[in-house]
Amino acid sequence: MSNRVVNVLAAASVAGLMFTLFGMSAGAAGAADPAEQVKDRQQTMKKLGGGMGAVAKFVKNEGATAEDAAKGAEAVLAVSKMDPKKIFPEGTAVGVADSAAKPELWKSWTETQKYWSAVQPAAEKLDAALKGGDRAQIAQALGATSKTCGTCHEDFRVKKN
Amino acid sequence: MRRLLTAAALLLPLAFAGGGARAAGDTPAGGASAGEGSPGDAVSRGAYIFNAAGCLGCHTNQKDGGEKGGGQPLAGGRALATPFGTFYTPNITPDPVNGIGRWSDADFIRALREGVRPDGANLFPAFPYASYTRMTDRDLLDLKAYLLSRPAVAAPNRPHDLTPPFSWRFLVPAWQWLYLTPGPVPDDQAKPASWNRGRYLVDALGHCAECHSPRSLLGGIDPDRYLAGNPDGPDGDKVPGITSAEPKGIGGWSDGDLTLFLEAGLTPDGDVAGGAMGEVVRNTTSKLTAEDRAAIAAYLKTVPAKQ
Repeated sequence: MSNRVVNVLAAASVAGLMFTLFGMSAGAAGAADPAEQVKDRQQTMKKLGGGMGAVAKFVKNEGATAEDAAKGAEAVLAVSKMDPKKIFPEGTAVGVADSAAKPELWKSWTETQKYWSAVQPAAEKLDAALKGGDRAQIAQALGATSKTCGTCHEDFRVKKN
Repeated sequence: MRRLLTAAALLLPLAFAGGGARAAGDTPAGGASAGEGSPGDAVSRGAYIFNAAGCLGCHTNQKDGGEKGGGQPLAGGRALATPFGTFYTPNITPDPVNGIGRWSDADFIRALREGVRPDGANLFPAFPYASYTRMTDRDLLDLKAYLLSRPAVAAPNRPHDLTPPFSWRFLVPAWQWLYLTPGPVPDDQAKPASWNRGRYLVDALGHCAECHSPRSLLGGIDPDRYLAGNPDGPDGDKVPGITSAEPKGIGGWSDGDLTLFLEAGLTPDGDVAGGAMGEVVRNTTSKLTAEDRAAIAAYLKTVPAKQ
Protein backbone atom coordinates (compact mmCIF):
# COMPACT_ATOMS: atom_id res chain seq x y z
CA MET A 1 0.00 0.00 0.00
CA SER A 2 1.43 3.30 -0.99
CA ASN A 3 1.78 6.11 1.46
CA ARG A 4 -0.78 8.07 -0.41
CA VAL A 5 -3.37 5.40 -0.10
CA VAL A 6 -2.70 5.05 3.63
CA ASN A 7 -3.01 8.80 4.04
CA VAL A 8 -6.25 8.93 2.16
CA LEU A 9 -7.63 6.00 4.14
CA ALA A 10 -6.51 7.55 7.41
CA ALA A 11 -8.02 10.89 6.51
CA ALA A 12 -11.21 9.21 5.48
CA SER A 13 -11.45 7.21 8.65
CA VAL A 14 -10.73 10.24 10.81
CA ALA A 15 -13.37 12.17 8.94
CA GLY A 16 -15.73 9.27 9.31
CA LEU A 17 -15.02 9.00 12.98
CA MET A 18 -15.51 12.70 13.48
CA PHE A 19 -18.72 12.61 11.49
CA THR A 20 -19.97 9.76 13.57
CA LEU A 21 -19.02 11.47 16.82
CA PHE A 22 -20.49 14.85 15.93
CA GLY A 23 -23.43 13.29 14.23
CA MET A 24 -24.14 11.28 17.33
CA SER A 25 -23.75 14.12 19.75
CA ALA A 26 -25.87 16.41 17.55
CA GLY A 27 -28.39 13.63 17.35
CA ALA A 28 -28.33 13.17 21.10
CA ALA A 29 -28.95 16.89 21.68
CA GLY A 30 -31.70 16.99 19.08
CA ALA A 31 -33.37 13.97 20.55
CA ALA A 32 -33.07 15.14 24.16
CA ASP A 33 -35.94 13.56 25.98
CA PRO A 34 -38.65 16.24 26.35
CA ALA A 35 -39.96 14.52 29.46
CA GLU A 36 -36.48 14.83 30.92
CA GLN A 37 -36.39 18.51 29.99
CA VAL A 38 -39.70 19.07 31.75
CA LYS A 39 -38.28 17.38 34.82
CA ASP A 40 -35.18 19.60 34.61
CA ARG A 41 -37.39 22.65 34.45
CA GLN A 42 -39.34 21.50 37.48
CA GLN A 43 -36.07 21.08 39.36
CA THR A 44 -35.02 24.59 38.38
CA MET A 45 -38.37 26.00 39.48
CA LYS A 46 -38.12 24.07 42.70
CA LYS A 47 -34.74 25.66 43.34
CA LEU A 48 -36.25 29.06 42.62
CA GLY A 49 -39.21 28.35 44.87
CA GLY A 50 -37.00 26.99 47.63
CA GLY A 51 -35.00 30.20 47.54
CA MET A 52 -38.11 32.35 47.62
CA GLY A 53 -39.54 30.24 50.41
CA ALA A 54 -36.42 30.63 52.53
CA VAL A 55 -36.50 34.41 52.22
CA ALA A 56 -40.23 34.38 52.94
CA LYS A 57 -39.70 32.33 56.11
CA PHE A 58 -37.15 34.87 57.26
CA VAL A 59 -39.43 37.80 56.46
CA LYS A 60 -42.31 36.13 58.31
CA ASN A 61 -39.99 35.36 61.20
CA GLU A 62 -40.82 31.70 60.97
CA GLY A 63 -37.59 29.94 61.68
CA ALA A 64 -35.25 30.82 58.82
CA THR A 65 -32.01 32.55 59.78
CA ALA A 66 -30.54 35.49 57.90
CA GLU A 67 -28.02 33.05 56.52
CA ASP A 68 -30.74 30.73 55.18
CA ALA A 69 -32.40 33.70 53.58
CA ALA A 70 -29.16 34.93 52.02
CA LYS A 71 -28.58 31.49 50.54
CA GLY A 72 -32.14 31.53 49.25
CA ALA A 73 -31.64 34.86 47.55
CA GLU A 74 -28.46 33.56 45.95
CA ALA A 75 -30.34 30.58 44.56
CA VAL A 76 -33.01 32.88 43.14
CA LEU A 77 -30.35 35.08 41.58
CA ALA A 78 -28.53 32.08 40.09
CA VAL A 79 -31.67 30.78 38.42
CA SER A 80 -32.59 34.24 37.17
CA LYS A 81 -29.32 34.34 35.26
CA MET A 82 -30.12 31.17 33.32
CA ASP A 83 -30.99 31.29 29.64
CA PRO A 84 -34.78 30.99 29.27
CA LYS A 85 -34.24 28.95 26.09
CA LYS A 86 -32.54 26.28 28.19
CA ILE A 87 -35.31 26.25 30.77
CA PHE A 88 -38.09 26.32 28.18
CA PRO A 89 -36.84 24.32 25.21
CA GLU A 90 -39.29 23.98 22.33
CA GLY A 91 -41.50 20.93 22.52
CA THR A 92 -42.03 20.93 26.27
CA ALA A 93 -45.49 22.43 26.45
CA VAL A 94 -48.39 21.01 28.40
CA GLY A 95 -49.02 17.43 27.34
CA VAL A 96 -45.37 16.46 27.66
CA ALA A 97 -44.95 14.59 30.93
CA ASP A 98 -46.65 16.80 33.54
CA SER A 99 -45.56 20.05 31.93
CA ALA A 100 -47.61 23.07 33.00
CA ALA A 101 -46.33 25.45 30.33
CA LYS A 102 -48.97 26.79 27.95
CA PRO A 103 -48.09 26.71 24.23
CA GLU A 104 -48.57 30.51 24.29
CA LEU A 105 -45.26 30.73 26.15
CA TRP A 106 -43.48 29.92 22.88
CA LYS A 107 -45.98 31.69 20.64
CA SER A 108 -45.32 34.91 22.54
CA TRP A 109 -41.61 34.31 23.00
CA THR A 110 -40.73 38.02 22.96
CA GLU A 111 -43.09 38.48 25.88
CA THR A 112 -41.67 35.44 27.64
CA GLN A 113 -38.13 36.79 27.32
CA LYS A 114 -39.27 40.15 28.64
CA TYR A 115 -40.92 38.49 31.64
CA TRP A 116 -37.90 36.33 32.30
CA SER A 117 -35.41 39.16 32.08
CA ALA A 118 -37.41 41.10 34.68
CA VAL A 119 -36.54 38.49 37.30
CA GLN A 120 -32.81 39.16 37.46
CA PRO A 121 -32.85 42.86 38.44
CA ALA A 122 -35.48 42.05 41.07
CA ALA A 123 -33.38 39.16 42.36
CA GLU A 124 -30.33 41.42 42.50
CA LYS A 125 -32.25 43.89 44.65
CA LEU A 126 -33.41 41.05 46.87
CA ASP A 127 -29.86 39.83 47.24
CA ALA A 128 -28.65 43.35 48.03
CA ALA A 129 -31.48 43.86 50.53
CA LEU A 130 -30.46 40.70 52.35
CA LYS A 131 -26.89 41.86 52.50
CA GLY A 132 -28.16 45.19 53.84
CA GLY A 133 -30.18 43.39 56.50
CA ASP A 134 -33.17 45.75 56.63
CA ARG A 135 -36.19 43.52 57.11
CA ALA A 136 -38.71 45.94 55.64
CA GLN A 137 -36.57 46.36 52.56
CA ILE A 138 -36.17 42.60 52.24
CA ALA A 139 -39.92 42.13 52.46
CA GLN A 140 -40.44 44.76 49.82
CA ALA A 141 -37.84 43.22 47.50
CA LEU A 142 -39.33 39.77 48.06
CA GLY A 143 -42.73 41.04 46.99
CA ALA A 144 -41.24 42.68 43.91
CA THR A 145 -39.40 39.50 42.92
CA SER A 146 -42.51 37.46 43.50
CA LYS A 147 -44.38 39.78 41.16
CA THR A 148 -41.93 39.03 38.34
CA CYS A 149 -42.61 35.31 38.79
CA GLY A 150 -46.35 35.96 38.89
CA THR A 151 -46.59 37.74 35.53
CA CYS A 152 -45.28 34.67 33.74
CA HIS A 153 -47.30 32.23 35.82
CA GLU A 154 -50.42 34.25 35.18
CA ASP A 155 -50.06 34.20 31.41
CA PHE A 156 -48.24 31.00 30.65
CA ARG A 157 -48.82 28.40 33.33
CA VAL A 158 -51.79 26.10 33.35
CA LYS A 159 -53.54 25.52 36.60
CA LYS A 160 -51.94 22.77 38.64
CA ASN A 161 -53.69 19.80 40.31
CA MET B 1 -82.18 19.85 35.47
CA ARG B 2 -84.92 20.92 33.07
CA ARG B 3 -87.47 19.87 35.63
CA LEU B 4 -85.74 21.96 38.24
CA LEU B 5 -85.81 24.91 35.92
CA THR B 6 -89.49 24.45 35.21
CA ALA B 7 -90.16 24.26 38.90
CA ALA B 8 -88.13 27.39 39.38
CA ALA B 9 -90.04 29.15 36.63
CA LEU B 10 -93.36 28.20 38.22
CA LEU B 11 -92.18 29.79 41.41
CA LEU B 12 -91.52 33.06 39.64
CA PRO B 13 -94.41 35.02 41.15
CA LEU B 14 -93.16 34.03 44.56
CA ALA B 15 -89.75 35.24 43.56
CA PHE B 16 -91.00 38.76 43.14
CA ALA B 17 -92.94 38.68 46.37
CA GLY B 18 -90.06 37.19 48.32
CA GLY B 19 -87.48 39.47 46.80
CA GLY B 20 -89.58 42.53 47.51
CA ALA B 21 -90.09 41.59 51.10
CA ARG B 22 -86.43 41.04 51.69
CA ALA B 23 -85.37 44.15 49.84
CA ALA B 24 -87.69 46.14 52.09
CA GLY B 25 -85.79 44.82 55.07
CA ASP B 26 -82.53 46.38 53.85
CA THR B 27 -80.53 47.84 56.63
CA PRO B 28 -77.34 49.78 56.23
CA ALA B 29 -74.99 47.70 58.33
CA GLY B 30 -72.22 45.32 57.68
CA GLY B 31 -68.51 45.21 58.30
CA ALA B 32 -69.19 48.27 56.45
CA SER B 33 -68.07 50.48 59.22
CA ALA B 34 -64.59 50.46 57.71
CA GLY B 35 -63.75 53.59 55.85
CA GLU B 36 -66.18 55.70 57.79
CA GLY B 37 -64.72 58.91 58.99
CA SER B 38 -61.67 58.39 56.79
CA PRO B 39 -60.44 61.40 54.89
CA GLY B 40 -60.78 61.79 51.16
CA ASP B 41 -63.69 62.18 48.83
CA ALA B 42 -66.01 59.64 47.29
CA VAL B 43 -63.80 59.10 44.25
CA SER B 44 -60.70 58.17 46.20
CA ARG B 45 -62.68 55.99 48.60
CA GLY B 46 -64.31 54.48 45.54
CA ALA B 47 -60.92 53.70 44.02
CA TYR B 48 -60.15 51.51 47.02
CA ILE B 49 -63.54 49.80 46.83
CA PHE B 50 -62.98 49.31 43.10
CA ASN B 51 -59.73 47.42 43.78
CA ALA B 52 -61.16 45.47 46.68
CA ALA B 53 -64.16 44.43 44.57
CA GLY B 54 -61.93 43.39 41.67
CA CYS B 55 -63.93 45.12 38.94
CA LEU B 56 -61.06 45.80 36.56
CA GLY B 57 -60.10 42.26 35.61
CA CYS B 58 -63.44 41.01 34.32
CA HIS B 59 -64.55 44.30 32.81
CA THR B 60 -61.40 44.74 30.74
CA ASN B 61 -60.51 42.63 27.75
CA GLN B 62 -56.84 42.76 28.57
CA LYS B 63 -56.09 39.10 28.13
CA ASP B 64 -58.18 37.09 25.76
CA GLY B 65 -57.46 33.43 26.36
CA GLY B 66 -53.80 33.98 27.01
CA GLU B 67 -53.48 36.46 24.16
CA LYS B 68 -53.48 40.16 24.74
CA GLY B 69 -57.01 41.34 24.15
CA GLY B 70 -55.99 44.96 23.74
CA GLY B 71 -59.22 46.28 25.28
CA GLN B 72 -59.54 49.66 26.96
CA PRO B 73 -59.88 49.60 30.75
CA LEU B 74 -63.45 48.89 31.87
CA ALA B 75 -64.77 48.82 28.29
CA GLY B 76 -65.76 45.16 28.78
CA GLY B 77 -65.63 42.43 26.16
CA ARG B 78 -63.63 39.92 28.16
CA ALA B 79 -64.77 36.38 27.52
CA LEU B 80 -65.67 34.40 30.64
CA ALA B 81 -65.87 30.73 29.78
CA THR B 82 -68.23 28.93 32.17
CA PRO B 83 -70.08 25.61 32.15
CA PHE B 84 -73.15 27.61 31.08
CA GLY B 85 -71.56 29.19 28.04
CA THR B 86 -69.37 32.19 27.38
CA PHE B 87 -70.22 35.53 28.88
CA TYR B 88 -68.81 38.74 27.44
CA THR B 89 -68.51 41.35 30.13
CA PRO B 90 -70.16 44.71 29.52
CA ASN B 91 -68.74 48.19 29.25
CA ILE B 92 -68.86 49.97 32.63
CA THR B 93 -67.15 53.19 31.60
CA PRO B 94 -69.16 56.45 31.83
CA ASP B 95 -70.05 56.24 28.13
CA PRO B 96 -73.75 57.24 28.02
CA VAL B 97 -74.68 54.77 25.26
CA ASN B 98 -72.59 51.66 25.91
CA GLY B 99 -71.58 52.20 29.50
CA ILE B 100 -73.19 53.38 32.73
CA GLY B 101 -73.00 57.14 32.14
CA ARG B 102 -76.74 57.61 32.40
CA TRP B 103 -77.28 55.42 35.44
CA SER B 104 -78.73 57.13 38.50
CA ASP B 105 -77.54 56.27 42.00
CA ALA B 106 -80.68 54.18 42.45
CA ASP B 107 -80.01 52.37 39.16
CA PHE B 108 -76.51 51.51 40.26
CA ILE B 109 -77.58 50.26 43.67
CA ARG B 110 -80.37 48.18 42.14
CA ALA B 111 -78.00 46.57 39.63
CA LEU B 112 -75.41 45.59 42.21
CA ARG B 113 -77.84 44.68 44.96
CA GLU B 114 -80.73 43.10 43.09
CA GLY B 115 -79.19 42.18 39.74
CA VAL B 116 -81.60 44.33 37.74
CA ARG B 117 -80.54 46.65 34.94
CA PRO B 118 -82.01 50.18 34.62
CA ASP B 119 -84.19 48.95 31.71
CA GLY B 120 -85.65 46.29 34.01
CA ALA B 121 -83.79 43.32 32.50
CA ASN B 122 -82.29 40.86 34.95
CA LEU B 123 -78.54 40.52 34.99
CA PHE B 124 -76.97 37.11 34.61
CA PRO B 125 -75.29 36.06 37.84
CA ALA B 126 -71.89 35.75 36.14
CA PHE B 127 -71.87 39.30 37.44
CA PRO B 128 -71.37 38.46 41.12
CA TYR B 129 -74.19 40.57 42.52
CA ALA B 130 -75.07 37.76 44.94
CA SER B 131 -71.85 38.92 46.64
CA TYR B 132 -71.97 42.65 45.88
CA THR B 133 -75.49 42.75 47.30
CA ARG B 134 -73.82 42.78 50.71
CA MET B 135 -72.02 46.05 49.98
CA THR B 136 -73.17 49.06 51.93
CA ASP B 137 -74.95 51.94 50.21
CA ARG B 138 -72.00 54.12 50.91
CA ASP B 139 -69.47 51.76 49.34
CA LEU B 140 -71.73 51.30 46.33
CA LEU B 141 -72.07 55.04 45.78
CA ASP B 142 -68.35 55.63 46.31
CA LEU B 143 -67.68 52.94 43.74
CA LYS B 144 -70.05 54.59 41.31
CA ALA B 145 -68.36 57.95 41.84
CA TYR B 146 -65.02 56.36 41.03
CA LEU B 147 -66.30 54.55 37.93
CA LEU B 148 -67.81 57.77 36.61
CA SER B 149 -64.45 59.49 37.06
CA ARG B 150 -62.83 57.06 34.59
CA PRO B 151 -62.46 57.81 30.86
CA ALA B 152 -65.53 56.94 28.77
CA VAL B 153 -64.99 54.39 26.02
CA ALA B 154 -67.56 54.07 23.23
CA ALA B 155 -67.09 50.31 22.85
CA PRO B 156 -70.35 48.45 22.15
CA ASN B 157 -71.26 45.40 24.20
CA ARG B 158 -70.96 41.94 22.73
CA PRO B 159 -73.87 39.53 23.23
CA HIS B 160 -73.26 36.50 25.44
CA ASP B 161 -72.88 33.11 23.85
CA LEU B 162 -74.81 30.84 26.23
CA THR B 163 -76.29 27.39 26.06
CA PRO B 164 -80.09 27.23 26.51
CA PRO B 165 -81.73 27.25 29.00
CA PHE B 166 -79.04 29.38 30.59
CA SER B 167 -79.42 31.96 27.84
CA TRP B 168 -83.05 32.58 28.82
CA ARG B 169 -82.92 35.85 30.67
CA PHE B 170 -86.53 35.49 31.81
CA LEU B 171 -85.42 32.64 34.06
CA VAL B 172 -82.95 34.80 35.94
CA PRO B 173 -85.52 36.02 38.49
CA ALA B 174 -86.01 32.40 39.47
CA TRP B 175 -82.30 32.07 40.00
CA GLN B 176 -82.35 35.22 42.06
CA TRP B 177 -85.19 33.89 44.14
CA LEU B 178 -83.21 30.74 44.82
CA TYR B 179 -79.78 32.21 45.38
CA LEU B 180 -79.91 35.94 46.05
CA THR B 181 -80.43 37.32 49.52
CA PRO B 182 -80.41 41.06 48.92
CA GLY B 183 -78.83 43.55 51.23
CA PRO B 184 -75.87 43.96 53.57
CA VAL B 185 -75.32 41.47 56.37
CA PRO B 186 -75.17 43.08 59.82
CA ASP B 187 -71.94 42.78 61.77
CA ASP B 188 -71.67 39.92 64.21
CA GLN B 189 -71.29 41.86 67.44
CA ALA B 190 -69.81 38.83 69.19
CA LYS B 191 -66.83 38.89 66.83
CA PRO B 192 -63.92 41.34 66.71
CA ALA B 193 -64.05 44.24 64.26
CA SER B 194 -61.23 42.75 62.18
CA TRP B 195 -63.22 39.54 61.71
CA ASN B 196 -66.25 41.49 60.55
CA ARG B 197 -64.12 43.56 58.23
CA GLY B 198 -62.52 40.36 56.91
CA ARG B 199 -65.90 38.80 56.26
CA TYR B 200 -67.02 41.93 54.43
CA LEU B 201 -63.87 41.90 52.30
CA VAL B 202 -64.20 38.18 51.53
CA ASP B 203 -67.97 37.95 51.01
CA ALA B 204 -69.13 41.35 49.80
CA LEU B 205 -66.21 42.99 48.01
CA GLY B 206 -63.73 40.23 47.18
CA HIS B 207 -66.54 37.84 46.12
CA CYS B 208 -64.10 35.00 46.89
CA ALA B 209 -66.86 32.41 47.20
CA GLU B 210 -67.85 32.94 43.56
CA CYS B 211 -64.78 31.00 42.40
CA HIS B 212 -63.77 29.15 45.55
CA SER B 213 -67.11 27.36 46.07
CA PRO B 214 -68.71 24.72 43.87
CA ARG B 215 -71.92 25.56 42.04
CA SER B 216 -75.14 23.63 41.65
CA LEU B 217 -76.48 22.64 38.23
CA LEU B 218 -78.36 25.92 38.21
CA GLY B 219 -75.22 27.90 38.90
CA GLY B 220 -75.92 28.74 42.51
CA ILE B 221 -73.28 28.55 45.18
CA ASP B 222 -73.71 25.54 47.42
CA PRO B 223 -73.87 27.06 50.92
CA ASP B 224 -72.75 23.79 52.50
CA ARG B 225 -69.56 23.93 50.46
CA TYR B 226 -68.82 27.60 51.07
CA LEU B 227 -65.16 28.26 50.13
CA ALA B 228 -64.53 24.51 49.95
CA GLY B 229 -63.06 24.73 46.44
CA ASN B 230 -64.50 24.32 42.98
CA PRO B 231 -63.53 21.45 40.70
CA ASP B 232 -64.96 23.30 37.70
CA GLY B 233 -64.04 26.93 38.09
CA PRO B 234 -63.69 29.73 35.55
CA ASP B 235 -61.92 28.69 32.36
CA GLY B 236 -62.23 25.07 33.49
CA ASP B 237 -59.63 25.54 36.19
CA LYS B 238 -59.75 23.73 39.49
CA VAL B 239 -60.01 26.22 42.30
CA PRO B 240 -58.62 25.18 45.69
CA GLY B 241 -60.56 25.26 48.92
CA ILE B 242 -59.76 28.08 51.33
CA THR B 243 -61.59 26.98 54.45
CA SER B 244 -59.64 26.21 57.61
CA ALA B 245 -59.32 22.59 56.42
CA GLU B 246 -55.95 20.94 56.25
CA PRO B 247 -54.52 20.05 53.79
CA LYS B 248 -57.39 20.95 51.43
CA GLY B 249 -57.60 24.48 52.68
CA ILE B 250 -55.54 27.06 54.48
CA GLY B 251 -55.68 25.38 57.88
CA GLY B 252 -51.93 24.80 57.82
CA TRP B 253 -51.10 28.37 56.81
CA SER B 254 -49.87 30.85 59.37
CA ASP B 255 -51.21 34.40 59.45
CA GLY B 256 -47.95 35.46 57.83
CA ASP B 257 -48.38 32.87 55.09
CA LEU B 258 -51.82 34.22 54.29
CA THR B 259 -50.95 37.89 54.33
CA LEU B 260 -47.77 37.39 52.29
CA PHE B 261 -49.75 35.38 49.76
CA LEU B 262 -52.38 38.10 49.50
CA GLU B 263 -49.69 40.74 49.19
CA ALA B 264 -47.29 39.05 46.79
CA GLY B 265 -48.87 35.80 45.62
CA LEU B 266 -46.12 33.82 47.31
CA THR B 267 -47.20 30.48 48.80
CA PRO B 268 -45.55 28.89 51.85
CA ASP B 269 -43.54 26.55 49.58
CA GLY B 270 -42.13 29.45 47.57
CA ASP B 271 -44.40 29.09 44.56
CA VAL B 272 -46.09 32.17 43.11
CA ALA B 273 -49.76 32.19 42.16
CA GLY B 274 -50.59 32.37 38.48
CA GLY B 275 -53.81 32.15 36.50
CA ALA B 276 -56.92 33.80 37.84
CA MET B 277 -55.55 34.10 41.39
CA GLY B 278 -52.41 35.78 40.08
CA GLU B 279 -54.70 38.35 38.56
CA VAL B 280 -56.61 38.73 41.81
CA VAL B 281 -53.37 39.32 43.70
CA ARG B 282 -52.20 41.84 41.11
CA ASN B 283 -55.48 43.77 40.85
CA THR B 284 -56.95 43.36 44.29
CA THR B 285 -55.26 41.87 47.31
CA SER B 286 -51.84 43.48 46.74
CA LYS B 287 -53.59 46.85 46.64
CA LEU B 288 -55.34 46.49 49.99
CA THR B 289 -53.97 47.90 53.22
CA ALA B 290 -51.96 45.53 55.42
CA GLU B 291 -54.79 45.79 57.99
CA ASP B 292 -57.32 44.60 55.43
CA ARG B 293 -55.13 41.68 54.41
CA ALA B 294 -54.77 40.73 58.06
CA ALA B 295 -58.57 40.97 58.44
CA ILE B 296 -59.08 38.59 55.51
CA ALA B 297 -56.65 36.14 57.11
CA ALA B 298 -58.37 36.45 60.48
CA TYR B 299 -61.74 35.71 58.91
CA LEU B 300 -60.63 32.84 56.65
CA LYS B 301 -59.04 31.04 59.56
CA THR B 302 -62.45 30.83 61.21
CA VAL B 303 -64.31 29.43 58.18
CA PRO B 304 -65.44 25.90 59.18
CA ALA B 305 -63.20 23.26 57.63
CA LYS B 306 -64.56 21.45 54.59
CA GLN B 307 -62.39 18.84 52.95
